[in-house]
Amino acid sequence: MVFMEVEMPWNVIISPDKLDAKGLLLHKAIILRLMDDIANKKASKEHGYYAAVTTLNTLGEGKVRELSGDVLFPVTFSCITLKPAKGEILVGTVDKILKHGIFLKSGPMSSIFLSEKTMRDYKYVGGENPMFLNDKHAKLEKDTMVRFKVLGLKWLESEREFQILATLAGDFLGSI
Amino acid sequence: MSTEVRDEDENAAELKIGEEFLKSKCLMNCEIARILDHKYDQLQQMSDDATNQISQVFEKSMQYVKRCSRYKNPDAVRQVREVLSRYKLAEFELCVLGNLCPETVEEAIAIVPSIKSKGRKLEDDAIEKMLHDLSLIKKFE
Repeated sequence: MVFMEVEMPWNVIISPDKLDAKGLLLHKAIILRLMDDIANKKASKEHGYYAAVTTLNTLGEGKVRELSGDVLFPVTFSCITLKPAKGEILVGTVDKILKHGIFLKSGPMSSIFLSEKTMRDYKYVGGENPMFLNDKHAKLEKDTMVRFKVLGLKWLESEREFQILATLAGDFLGSI
Repeated sequence: MSTEVRDEDENAAELKIGEEFLKSKCLMNCEIARILDHKYDQLQQMSDDATNQISQVFEKSMQYVKRCSRYKNPDAVRQVREVLSRYKLAEFELCVLGNLCPETVEEAIAIVPSIKSKGRKLEDDAIEKMLHDLSLIKKFE
Protein backbone atom coordinates (compact mmCIF):
# COMPACT_ATOMS: atom_id res chain seq x y z
CA MET A 1 0.00 0.00 0.00
CA VAL A 2 1.18 3.42 -0.80
CA PHE A 3 0.48 6.42 1.39
CA MET A 4 0.11 9.82 -0.21
CA GLU A 5 0.13 13.40 0.92
CA VAL A 6 -2.76 15.30 -0.66
CA GLU A 7 -3.94 18.87 -0.30
CA MET A 8 -7.66 19.45 0.08
CA PRO A 9 -10.16 22.20 0.95
CA TRP A 10 -12.49 22.12 3.94
CA ASN A 11 -14.90 24.35 5.85
CA VAL A 12 -14.26 24.45 9.56
CA ILE A 13 -17.14 25.56 11.76
CA ILE A 14 -16.31 27.16 15.09
CA SER A 15 -18.94 27.93 17.68
CA PRO A 16 -18.98 31.50 19.09
CA ASP A 17 -17.70 30.51 22.54
CA LYS A 18 -14.41 29.36 20.96
CA LEU A 19 -13.86 32.74 19.32
CA ASP A 20 -11.20 33.89 21.69
CA ALA A 21 -9.74 37.38 21.43
CA LYS A 22 -6.30 35.77 21.50
CA GLY A 23 -5.62 34.72 17.94
CA LEU A 24 -3.48 31.72 18.87
CA LEU A 25 -6.27 29.98 20.71
CA LEU A 26 -8.62 30.44 17.78
CA HIS A 27 -5.98 28.97 15.49
CA LYS A 28 -5.66 25.98 17.78
CA ALA A 29 -9.44 25.57 17.94
CA ILE A 30 -9.59 25.52 14.15
CA ILE A 31 -6.88 22.86 13.88
CA LEU A 32 -8.46 20.67 16.57
CA ARG A 33 -11.88 20.96 14.95
CA LEU A 34 -10.42 20.13 11.54
CA MET A 35 -8.67 17.04 12.92
CA ASP A 36 -11.87 15.97 14.59
CA ASP A 37 -13.86 16.38 11.37
CA ILE A 38 -11.33 14.37 9.38
CA ALA A 39 -11.19 11.62 12.01
CA ASN A 40 -14.98 11.35 11.84
CA LYS A 41 -14.97 11.30 8.07
CA LYS A 42 -12.56 8.33 8.29
CA ALA A 43 -12.38 7.69 4.54
CA SER A 44 -13.88 8.62 1.17
CA LYS A 45 -14.20 6.95 -2.18
CA GLU A 46 -12.10 9.67 -3.74
CA HIS A 47 -9.13 9.82 -1.34
CA GLY A 48 -9.25 6.54 0.53
CA TYR A 49 -8.48 6.50 4.26
CA TYR A 50 -7.44 9.70 6.07
CA ALA A 51 -4.53 8.85 8.35
CA ALA A 52 -3.46 12.26 9.63
CA VAL A 53 -3.73 15.98 9.00
CA THR A 54 -0.17 17.20 8.55
CA THR A 55 -0.34 20.95 7.91
CA LEU A 56 -2.87 23.75 7.69
CA ASN A 57 -1.92 25.56 4.50
CA THR A 58 -4.36 28.43 4.09
CA LEU A 59 -6.91 29.96 6.39
CA GLY A 60 -9.58 32.15 4.84
CA GLU A 61 -11.67 34.85 6.42
CA GLY A 62 -14.43 33.59 8.72
CA LYS A 63 -18.07 34.08 7.75
CA VAL A 64 -20.74 34.27 10.42
CA ARG A 65 -23.67 31.93 9.87
CA GLU A 66 -26.80 33.88 10.65
CA LEU A 67 -28.95 31.29 12.37
CA SER A 68 -26.46 29.70 14.73
CA GLY A 69 -23.87 32.39 15.14
CA ASP A 70 -21.18 29.85 14.26
CA VAL A 71 -18.28 31.05 12.19
CA LEU A 72 -17.24 29.17 9.10
CA PHE A 73 -13.59 29.26 8.07
CA PRO A 74 -12.60 28.02 4.61
CA VAL A 75 -9.22 26.27 4.87
CA THR A 76 -6.90 24.12 2.81
CA PHE A 77 -4.77 21.51 4.48
CA SER A 78 -2.46 18.60 3.72
CA CYS A 79 -3.37 15.13 4.79
CA ILE A 80 -1.75 11.68 4.71
CA THR A 81 -4.10 9.36 2.86
CA LEU A 82 -4.10 5.74 1.88
CA LYS A 83 -6.08 4.46 -1.05
CA PRO A 84 -5.99 0.86 -2.23
CA ALA A 85 -5.82 0.28 -6.00
CA LYS A 86 -6.77 -2.68 -8.13
CA GLY A 87 -3.72 -4.70 -9.22
CA GLU A 88 -1.62 -3.40 -6.36
CA ILE A 89 0.50 -5.70 -4.18
CA LEU A 90 -0.19 -5.31 -0.46
CA VAL A 91 0.94 -6.89 2.78
CA GLY A 92 -1.57 -7.86 5.45
CA THR A 93 -2.01 -10.15 8.43
CA VAL A 94 -4.43 -13.05 8.71
CA ASP A 95 -7.37 -12.10 10.88
CA LYS A 96 -9.89 -14.92 10.54
CA ILE A 97 -9.80 -18.37 8.93
CA LEU A 98 -12.91 -19.83 7.38
CA LYS A 99 -13.35 -22.92 5.27
CA HIS A 100 -13.99 -20.86 2.16
CA GLY A 101 -11.18 -18.42 2.63
CA ILE A 102 -9.37 -15.98 4.86
CA PHE A 103 -10.07 -12.48 6.14
CA LEU A 104 -7.02 -10.26 6.19
CA LYS A 105 -6.26 -6.90 7.75
CA SER A 106 -3.82 -4.36 6.45
CA GLY A 107 -3.39 -1.07 8.30
CA PRO A 108 -6.77 0.69 8.36
CA MET A 109 -8.24 -1.79 5.85
CA SER A 110 -10.12 -4.41 7.80
CA SER A 111 -12.31 -6.04 5.22
CA ILE A 112 -10.04 -7.98 2.87
CA PHE A 113 -11.22 -11.38 1.71
CA LEU A 114 -8.93 -13.98 0.17
CA SER A 115 -11.12 -16.71 -1.27
CA GLU A 116 -10.02 -20.33 -1.25
CA LYS A 117 -10.51 -20.20 -5.04
CA THR A 118 -7.82 -17.56 -5.52
CA MET A 119 -5.34 -19.11 -3.09
CA ARG A 120 -3.62 -21.34 -5.67
CA ASP A 121 -2.29 -24.53 -4.03
CA TYR A 122 -3.21 -23.65 -0.44
CA LYS A 123 -5.71 -26.09 1.09
CA TYR A 124 -7.88 -25.75 4.18
CA VAL A 125 -6.88 -27.81 7.22
CA GLY A 126 -9.50 -27.79 9.96
CA GLY A 127 -9.15 -28.48 13.66
CA GLU A 128 -8.66 -26.47 16.79
CA ASN A 129 -6.25 -24.16 15.05
CA PRO A 130 -7.53 -23.99 11.46
CA MET A 131 -5.10 -22.98 8.72
CA PHE A 132 -4.34 -23.16 5.02
CA LEU A 133 -1.34 -25.22 3.93
CA ASN A 134 0.33 -25.57 0.54
CA ASP A 135 2.51 -28.26 -1.06
CA LYS A 136 5.67 -26.56 0.15
CA HIS A 137 4.32 -26.54 3.73
CA ALA A 138 3.88 -22.80 3.77
CA LYS A 139 1.24 -21.99 6.38
CA LEU A 140 -1.44 -19.35 6.54
CA GLU A 141 -2.78 -19.17 10.09
CA LYS A 142 -3.89 -16.40 12.43
CA ASP A 143 -1.43 -13.47 12.41
CA THR A 144 0.65 -14.81 9.49
CA MET A 145 1.84 -11.97 7.28
CA VAL A 146 0.72 -12.38 3.70
CA ARG A 147 1.70 -10.62 0.51
CA PHE A 148 -1.30 -10.49 -1.82
CA LYS A 149 -2.63 -8.73 -4.88
CA VAL A 150 -5.82 -6.66 -5.01
CA LEU A 151 -8.20 -8.41 -7.39
CA GLY A 152 -11.04 -5.98 -6.97
CA LEU A 153 -12.43 -3.45 -4.56
CA LYS A 154 -15.66 -1.75 -3.68
CA TRP A 155 -16.38 1.40 -1.71
CA LEU A 156 -19.05 0.88 0.95
CA GLU A 157 -20.63 4.25 1.64
CA SER A 158 -22.57 3.14 4.74
CA GLU A 159 -19.51 1.73 6.49
CA ARG A 160 -17.17 4.30 4.98
CA GLU A 161 -14.61 1.72 4.02
CA PHE A 162 -13.32 -0.36 1.14
CA GLN A 163 -14.18 -4.00 0.72
CA ILE A 164 -11.26 -5.71 -0.95
CA LEU A 165 -11.00 -9.01 -2.76
CA ALA A 166 -7.50 -10.51 -2.68
CA THR A 167 -5.68 -13.11 -4.75
CA LEU A 168 -2.47 -15.11 -4.43
CA ALA A 169 -2.34 -15.82 -8.18
CA GLY A 170 1.04 -14.44 -9.20
CA ASP A 171 4.71 -14.90 -8.42
CA PHE A 172 6.17 -13.97 -5.04
CA LEU A 173 2.78 -13.86 -3.33
CA GLY A 174 1.82 -15.78 -0.19
CA SER A 175 3.06 -15.97 3.39
CA ILE A 176 6.18 -13.95 4.24
CA MET B 1 -2.56 10.46 -18.07
CA SER B 2 -4.96 13.33 -18.56
CA THR B 3 -8.27 11.53 -18.39
CA GLU B 4 -9.49 10.09 -15.17
CA VAL B 5 -9.01 6.36 -14.80
CA ARG B 6 -12.33 4.63 -14.55
CA ASP B 7 -12.77 2.01 -11.87
CA GLU B 8 -12.93 -0.91 -14.29
CA ASP B 9 -9.76 0.13 -16.09
CA GLU B 10 -7.71 0.60 -12.96
CA ASN B 11 -4.68 -1.64 -12.78
CA ALA B 12 -1.72 -0.76 -10.63
CA ALA B 13 0.39 -3.39 -12.40
CA GLU B 14 0.26 -1.29 -15.57
CA LEU B 15 0.46 1.96 -13.65
CA LYS B 16 -3.15 2.66 -14.63
CA ILE B 17 -4.07 4.25 -11.36
CA GLY B 18 -6.08 7.28 -10.36
CA GLU B 19 -4.67 10.63 -11.30
CA GLU B 20 -4.18 11.49 -7.65
CA PHE B 21 -1.45 8.85 -7.43
CA LEU B 22 0.46 10.57 -10.21
CA LYS B 23 -0.18 14.14 -9.06
CA SER B 24 0.33 13.80 -5.33
CA LYS B 25 3.43 12.96 -3.42
CA CYS B 26 3.59 9.26 -2.57
CA LEU B 27 5.45 8.29 0.57
CA MET B 28 7.16 5.08 1.65
CA ASN B 29 6.11 3.31 4.84
CA CYS B 30 9.36 4.25 6.54
CA GLU B 31 8.75 7.93 5.73
CA ILE B 32 5.16 7.70 6.98
CA ALA B 33 6.37 6.12 10.23
CA ARG B 34 8.49 9.19 10.89
CA ILE B 35 5.74 11.65 10.00
CA LEU B 36 3.15 9.92 12.18
CA ASP B 37 5.59 9.66 15.07
CA HIS B 38 6.25 13.37 14.88
CA LYS B 39 2.52 14.07 14.60
CA TYR B 40 1.84 11.96 17.66
CA ASP B 41 4.36 13.94 19.76
CA GLN B 42 2.90 17.20 18.48
CA LEU B 43 -0.59 16.13 19.46
CA GLN B 44 0.45 15.29 22.96
CA GLN B 45 1.84 18.77 23.43
CA MET B 46 -1.16 20.42 21.87
CA SER B 47 -4.03 18.77 23.61
CA ASP B 48 -4.71 17.58 27.15
CA ASP B 49 -6.64 14.58 25.95
CA ALA B 50 -4.34 13.59 23.11
CA THR B 51 -5.60 10.03 23.11
CA ASN B 52 -9.04 11.30 22.12
CA GLN B 53 -7.56 13.10 19.16
CA ILE B 54 -5.96 9.96 17.75
CA SER B 55 -8.26 8.46 15.15
CA GLN B 56 -8.55 4.76 14.55
CA VAL B 57 -7.17 5.15 11.06
CA PHE B 58 -4.15 6.97 12.50
CA GLU B 59 -3.53 4.28 15.09
CA LYS B 60 -3.87 1.37 12.68
CA SER B 61 -1.73 3.09 10.06
CA MET B 62 0.96 3.75 12.63
CA GLN B 63 0.99 0.13 13.82
CA TYR B 64 1.17 -1.04 10.24
CA VAL B 65 4.02 1.18 9.07
CA LYS B 66 6.03 0.40 12.20
CA ARG B 67 5.67 -3.28 11.58
CA CYS B 68 6.34 -3.06 7.87
CA SER B 69 9.15 -0.50 7.58
CA ARG B 70 12.42 -2.13 6.60
CA TYR B 71 14.43 1.00 7.25
CA LYS B 72 14.28 2.66 10.65
CA ASN B 73 17.15 5.08 10.76
CA PRO B 74 16.30 8.53 9.25
CA ASP B 75 19.51 8.65 7.19
CA ALA B 76 18.78 5.26 5.69
CA VAL B 77 15.25 6.37 4.81
CA ARG B 78 16.65 9.39 2.98
CA GLN B 79 19.23 7.26 1.15
CA VAL B 80 16.59 4.79 -0.02
CA ARG B 81 14.63 7.57 -1.67
CA GLU B 82 17.80 8.98 -3.18
CA VAL B 83 18.86 5.62 -4.66
CA LEU B 84 15.40 4.90 -6.07
CA SER B 85 15.09 8.43 -7.51
CA ARG B 86 17.97 7.72 -9.89
CA TYR B 87 15.89 5.28 -11.93
CA LYS B 88 13.15 7.49 -13.44
CA LEU B 89 10.44 5.64 -11.56
CA ALA B 90 6.93 6.94 -11.03
CA GLU B 91 6.34 7.98 -7.41
CA PHE B 92 4.00 5.04 -6.96
CA GLU B 93 6.57 2.53 -8.27
CA LEU B 94 9.29 4.04 -6.12
CA CYS B 95 7.21 3.55 -2.99
CA VAL B 96 6.15 -0.01 -3.78
CA LEU B 97 9.81 -0.98 -4.27
CA GLY B 98 10.88 0.86 -1.11
CA ASN B 99 8.09 -0.79 0.89
CA LEU B 100 8.36 -4.36 -0.29
CA CYS B 101 12.15 -4.52 -0.68
CA PRO B 102 12.41 -7.20 -3.38
CA GLU B 103 15.57 -9.29 -3.26
CA THR B 104 15.85 -10.41 -6.86
CA VAL B 105 15.24 -8.87 -10.28
CA GLU B 106 12.40 -11.35 -10.90
CA GLU B 107 10.73 -10.39 -7.65
CA ALA B 108 11.06 -6.67 -8.43
CA ILE B 109 9.39 -7.17 -11.82
CA ALA B 110 6.68 -9.35 -10.28
CA ILE B 111 5.67 -6.71 -7.75
CA VAL B 112 6.05 -3.70 -10.08
CA PRO B 113 5.44 -5.08 -13.61
CA SER B 114 5.16 -1.56 -15.01
CA ILE B 115 8.94 -1.05 -14.73
CA LYS B 116 9.22 -3.46 -17.66
CA SER B 117 6.37 -2.04 -19.70
CA LYS B 118 6.78 -0.81 -23.25
CA GLY B 119 8.49 2.47 -23.91
CA ARG B 120 10.27 2.76 -20.59
CA LYS B 121 12.08 -0.48 -20.30
CA LEU B 122 14.42 -0.60 -17.37
CA GLU B 123 17.26 -3.04 -18.12
CA ASP B 124 17.76 -6.01 -15.83
CA ASP B 125 21.27 -4.77 -15.07
CA ALA B 126 19.91 -1.46 -13.86
CA ILE B 127 17.36 -3.20 -11.63
CA GLU B 128 20.11 -5.44 -10.27
CA LYS B 129 22.25 -2.43 -9.44
CA MET B 130 19.30 -0.72 -7.75
CA LEU B 131 18.57 -3.75 -5.54
CA HIS B 132 22.24 -4.08 -4.69
CA ASP B 133 22.42 -0.43 -3.58
CA LEU B 134 19.31 -0.88 -1.46
CA SER B 135 20.70 -3.99 0.22
CA LEU B 136 23.87 -2.05 1.08
CA ILE B 137 21.80 0.61 2.85
CA LYS B 138 20.09 -2.10 4.85
CA LYS B 139 23.38 -3.73 5.73
CA PHE B 140 24.99 -0.55 7.03
CA GLU B 141 21.97 0.85 8.77
